[in-house]
Amino acid sequence: MKKFILFLFTLAIVLIACRKEDFSEVSTATFDEADRLVLDVNEFPYEHLSTYRFFKGPMVNQLPVVGVLPYAPITPLFTDYAHKHRFVWMPAGVKAQVNGDGHVLDFPDGAVLLKTFYYDRVLPADEQRIIETRMLYKRNGQWAFANYVWNAEQTEATLDLNGSITPVTFIDDNGTQRSINYRIPAEAECFTCHKQNDLNTPIGPKPQSLNAPYNYANGAKNQMIKWVEEGYLASGYAKNIRTTVRWDDPSADLSERARSYIDMNCAHCHRENSHCDYRPMRFAYEETLDPVNLGECVPPDDPIAPSQTHIVARGNPGRSMLYYRITTNEESERMPLLGRTIVHEEGVQLINEWISSLSPPCN
Amino acid sequence: MKITVLVATTFLVGLHLQAQDTCADALPIGPGLHTVTAINGTENTPINCAEVFGTGVSSAAEWYTYTATADTNIFISTDLSGFPSIDTRVQVYTGTCGNLSCLDGDDDGGSGTTSYIVFAVETGTTYTIAFDNRWTSNGFTFELGMIEGPPPALELISFTGYNSGLTGTSRAVVDMNNDGLDDIVGVSATNVHILQQLEGGGFTSVNIPTTQADNTPSWSLAAGDIDGNGYNDLLYGGGQGATFMMANDEGTGFTEVSFPEYIFSQRTNMVDLNNDGHLDAFVCHDVDANVSFMNDGTGNLTFGQGGFGLTCGNYGSVFVDYDNDGDVDCFVAKCGCDPADLLMRNNGDGTFTDVAPLLGFADNHQSWSSAWGDYDNDGDMDVLIGSSSSGYHKLMGNNGDGTFTNITVGSGVDLFTGQSIEWTTHDFDNNGYLDIFGGGAMLMNNGDMTFSMDNTVPANGSVGDLNDDGFLDVVNGATVMYNDGNDNNWIKVITTGTVSNRNGIGARVMITSAMGTQIRDVKSGDGFRYMSSLTTHFGIGTDNAIETVEIHWPSGNVDIVENPSINTTIEVVETVTTAVAERNNDVLNLYPVPATDQLTVSGKLPANSPVRIVDATGRMVLMGVLTGNTLDVSSLPNGVYLLEVELADGPVKRSFVKQ
Repeated sequence: MKKFILFLFTLAIVLIACRKEDFSEVSTATFDEADRLVLDVNEFPYEHLSTYRFFKGPMVNQLPVVGVLPYAPITPLFTDYAHKHRFVWMPAGVKAQVNGDGHVLDFPDGAVLLKTFYYDRVLPADEQRIIETRMLYKRNGQWAFANYVWNAEQTEATLDLNGSITPVTFIDDNGTQRSINYRIPAEAECFTCHKQNDLNTPIGPKPQSLNAPYNYANGAKNQMIKWVEEGYLASGYAKNIRTTVRWDDPSADLSERARSYIDMNCAHCHRENSHCDYRPMRFAYEETLDPVNLGECVPPDDPIAPSQTHIVARGNPGRSMLYYRITTNEESERMPLLGRTIVHEEGVQLINEWISSLSPPCN
Repeated sequence: MKITVLVATTFLVGLHLQAQDTCADALPIGPGLHTVTAINGTENTPINCAEVFGTGVSSAAEWYTYTATADTNIFISTDLSGFPSIDTRVQVYTGTCGNLSCLDGDDDGGSGTTSYIVFAVETGTTYTIAFDNRWTSNGFTFELGMIEGPPPALELISFTGYNSGLTGTSRAVVDMNNDGLDDIVGVSATNVHILQQLEGGGFTSVNIPTTQADNTPSWSLAAGDIDGNGYNDLLYGGGQGATFMMANDEGTGFTEVSFPEYIFSQRTNMVDLNNDGHLDAFVCHDVDANVSFMNDGTGNLTFGQGGFGLTCGNYGSVFVDYDNDGDVDCFVAKCGCDPADLLMRNNGDGTFTDVAPLLGFADNHQSWSSAWGDYDNDGDMDVLIGSSSSGYHKLMGNNGDGTFTNITVGSGVDLFTGQSIEWTTHDFDNNGYLDIFGGGAMLMNNGDMTFSMDNTVPANGSVGDLNDDGFLDVVNGATVMYNDGNDNNWIKVITTGTVSNRNGIGARVMITSAMGTQIRDVKSGDGFRYMSSLTTHFGIGTDNAIETVEIHWPSGNVDIVENPSINTTIEVVETVTTAVAERNNDVLNLYPVPATDQLTVSGKLPANSPVRIVDATGRMVLMGVLTGNTLDVSSLPNGVYLLEVELADGPVKRSFVKQ
């Protein structure tokens, strides 16, 4: 009974708020639908991020309005220790479909994916700095890129797809001070990774990477279920999703952690119909149960030094091309090709442990 | 080399477990098998004498000495039948503990990752042998033995390493101080390190600080004198754009000129794209259309995109005159996205048309670079398109009429499985035939369009003559791999343009000696990453005279030097003549480019010569006899075509474009 009263009270406030904001709108939808952000994808991209009204209060707080749903992949892409806020938004009445555990959800027209890159402890002031908010939006069946670079005051972000560099000195989560030349990508750089069959594509929102709990403002919930509840995902998908694990979950199987890490950090290029599919590796999670696809005991096409006898030399990271590629910062040798200028030390340690654990040694 | 050992007859030395933990406690050994239980010696090796693989280092070693009882050759092998294959590394030193110097070393000379090394010893000399734990501390067994006579001849050509002390990223061998000798260039974001070659050998180290470069030459570097002030400028091809370092008029400082446009640079080149006498620049773009920087004549460059391949996947550009019409054409080895290679034929008016589909180059080859040169010395440029990933190489012989024949099978190249992103060609053994450098080997030209492999050579790098001995050396990182040379003769030619660009880039250099005529095109930027010497090098085998050196300049001027000295470097300065030499188009020339309705056919052609036109698929679209000097091509769809005129001594072919 108490609950019911509270519910009515909430309803009244919402209705009043709606009327204040928009007298002309007649809505027969639920409360959330009525309050949902309305955007016309045909007007995209706007010059300023604030124009979309994705966030309430000061934009720097990244508090999404109703209908802008935060999400996170189980294992994220490493990008120079940047932290990220990710959000999804769709117009009313449309939803994404599951299209296989390892495939990006089949999003409807008008869908928007946002990814804000920031550092918590940026020197000299030791304060948060948001650098950019990248955006993918779908129009007429095609994804398009927009990128918004934040101003120094952290009050606005402006459309810029030309690419630029901004130096950042920050303290990472382990207390280590690092200095980088942070790269804000140009449009062609976005496309290098976000490419499938020569068409733009998102990378992260796949069932295998979403099928895990997320701490929403009102409690933790499985992201797939939340998306269904939000009206963003068609229900009825097969529930036995082949799901990745957290790369840094010490309780998870070492091989699963390595495959999850390699999937998110490498497979956008090293899979069929992607940027570097002429090399033999096939690094997508659903493909790496086959050790040959992972490069185990497979000679590299073009070793940088003759010591790199295999892409993955079982038991021997020092002989493994994959390991060398993630431990060097030399621009033309490091992997991933884009998004990293410094070594992900914890990721390297994981790959070292994983390769060291493999046997028998390659011939 | 696999050495089979009868274990029953051997004496395993495992008794002195701790004796070989330091240099001072090194265990004296003789021929036979020896077992290391684990590499746990407290004294690490002071210097690595073996090839350097990656950045890993050792922390412990096991120490032995061997005192030679005869002047002979000793081998040490961990590649032994009947024993586990262990990833060893061995060092061989002379000198005393605390003052050891490298004699030799080996990491992977055996099968797999085992070690095998042969070195010469002198009676009574003690050699210190150390196995370090660069790869593993696991125990293993090794054999020390004697090889009677000289070491087996494994190599067709040999090099000797020298640590130059170069700092920065090693990218170029090119003359930077304009003294006619090649120098070595290493680049960091704020410095250009130049090792200036000294007459008589050695280097002077010069550091030239620069402003913090927006882009570094992580992907490639090209050099040339863009502003014509006598000193070579540098082009850094970075992952996000291009930066020029313009040398000042004394060659003592650089001014940075960076462009804001995003380029995922791959191969960079300097070349006079519009043949106005001023050097322009070219940058292959991995993920977008290729980029040109046009020179306004005063060294000011303008960014441009378009006209040189409009899709992504551009890796290795090189500029040569494939059709002998006097202007440079552009080949682009492609990979990944849209991997069909480009052969951009220079239309002579600053525009280029892709004739790759017509000439059999537009295949899905997955290559990062190509090696263009006249492999059979018949006066036209052939090409080896080396594999990076597809697993096969493609050797295309130039037919002399602007078409090519795939001659891979039977050349020896077809049996070669090495792959790499670098493919270049030089005459490394000075026998008068161009060798192929790539795939972890040199393919030594036998002179008959067949090649023999030598895989004992250095890794690919910048190529030039760093001791002025007429044999081409290779720079790997900071190491100069000096070509040990042989008795063959040679000449080097410095091309100094006046009407043409100062470096003579794009010039055709021809020499004639008893063995025949050899040709080179002067180019800035070949292979994938490195910049090699702008001095043109020829070997002439045992010929002891050169009749003529001919320079066909991009301007059309021709200079001929008769009876030059051999085994030396000559400089040819472009002579300004009033009568510009006729291009090699006197037999057959087609214009305009592109043609719309009428194609004009000029040349020394008999009346009523049979003529036919085939399209890009090889289908004949027009046939007849040439009655006048024009052909009506208005009915042809737009595209690239090949026109063939039948002459008494065979067909002459030229491609043209209908638009």
